[in-house]
Amino acid sequence: MSLDDAPDDFESGLKPLWARAQAGDERAYAEALQRIAVRLRGYLRRRMQSLPDDVEDLVQETLLALHLQRGTHDAQLPVSRWVLAIARHKLVDLWRRRGRQDVLHDPWDELEERDVPIAADAGAAQRDLLKLLEQLPDAQRTAIVLTKIDGLSVAEAAKRTGASESAIKVQVHRGLKRLAEQVRNTP
Amino acid sequence: MKTEELIQMLARQAGPAPQALAARRVGAALGGGGLLALAASLGAIGPVAGSLFAEPAMWFKLAYGLALAAAAAIWVARLGRPVAPTHAPQRATAAVALAVLALGAASLLAVPAGARLDALFGHSWLQCPLAVLALSLPTLATGLWALRGLAPTQPRRAGFAAGVLAGAVGAFAYAFACDELAPSFVAVWYTAGIALAGALGAWLGPRWLRW
Repeated sequence: MSLDDAPDDFESGLKPLWARAQAGDERAYAEALQRIAVRLRGYLRRRMQSLPDDVEDLVQETLLALHLQRGTHDAQLPVSRWVLAIARHKLVDLWRRRGRQDVLHDPWDELEERDVPIAADAGAAQRDLLKLLEQLPDAQRTAIVLTKIDGLSVAEAAKRTGASESAIKVQVHRGLKRLAEQVRNTP
Repeated sequence: MKTEELIQMLARQAGPAPQALAARRVGAALGGGGLLALAASLGAIGPVAGSLFAEPAMWFKLAYGLALAAAAAIWVARLGRPVAPTHAPQRATAAVALAVLALGAASLLAVPAGARLDALFGHSWLQCPLAVLALSLPTLATGLWALRGLAPTQPRRAGFAAGVLAGAVGAFAYAFACDELAPSFVAVWYTAGIALAGALGAWLGPRWLRW
């Protein structure tokens, strides 16, 4: 799917996938997020021409936010509008954060050309979420690694760690939430 | 981590999305904050005499708090969800407050000129807004907690709505401990307390509702 797809095509392709994803279909969820990532990349690239290196980081931050907030999507409303409202919120938040940080840092204009960072490839972020993941508290990190990276079921992860199934779910959610907070606080 | 890996990680074992998240969180905030406010009102200030409940004015106060809380709760829940329509509950919240102000003004005009100062200031006009504000604090805390688990994209407005909701709950709770009976008193001083809670919420929103 191309970046130039009309928003309506984006919505009509996404909607059925999203409905299945919201009902718990993992594969539909992954595919929906892939389509959303392409759309986000286009949306953010156009609005972040002065910060091209930060586009992929913000795509990832927005995907994480979409996942954490997916309970706030109302099935009556278009998924694309909900997605882009969150992307816009994240973009505004980034500008605000940068606005403050720019006071502390040298503006790019004063850098020697060879010191200006080279734009990252699509799909490659500057900030490594795996590194931030390592900094989470043990229980949260373990729950995330077991269920979301190693792919164990919640029941298996509970057995492995000796925690209850609901505790695993809570640790995963808290861990991802904390990860999102760390992402915001990492320049 | 590449974006593709992040997507696989997010989707793996994701399970179904939480259902009716906004309604559940705002409902829990309302229940918890309301119980604390009632306990504080009855426990710390003390209930009015039961005979006062024969007066329609008592029910006017309680109805004001309830109606405003109902409208504001929907408003808060909508503000916690990106792109959910907020105009109708926002208008309903304003309409309740305006209707009470209009009733208060009408009741003041119906009072003989010599008694109007009494009908407006009663004997506790200074205490009333501060008590409403104090009794709103539990719901303000739980309401902001509810919003922190949602996705408010307009933090100041969401904070204000949470403040108005908290103020309405504070007014409802204070009505059990307040023996003022003039509708004009209720319209002015209860509303002033609710407005203070709204202002506090609007101030806290941009500080606490960042995500």
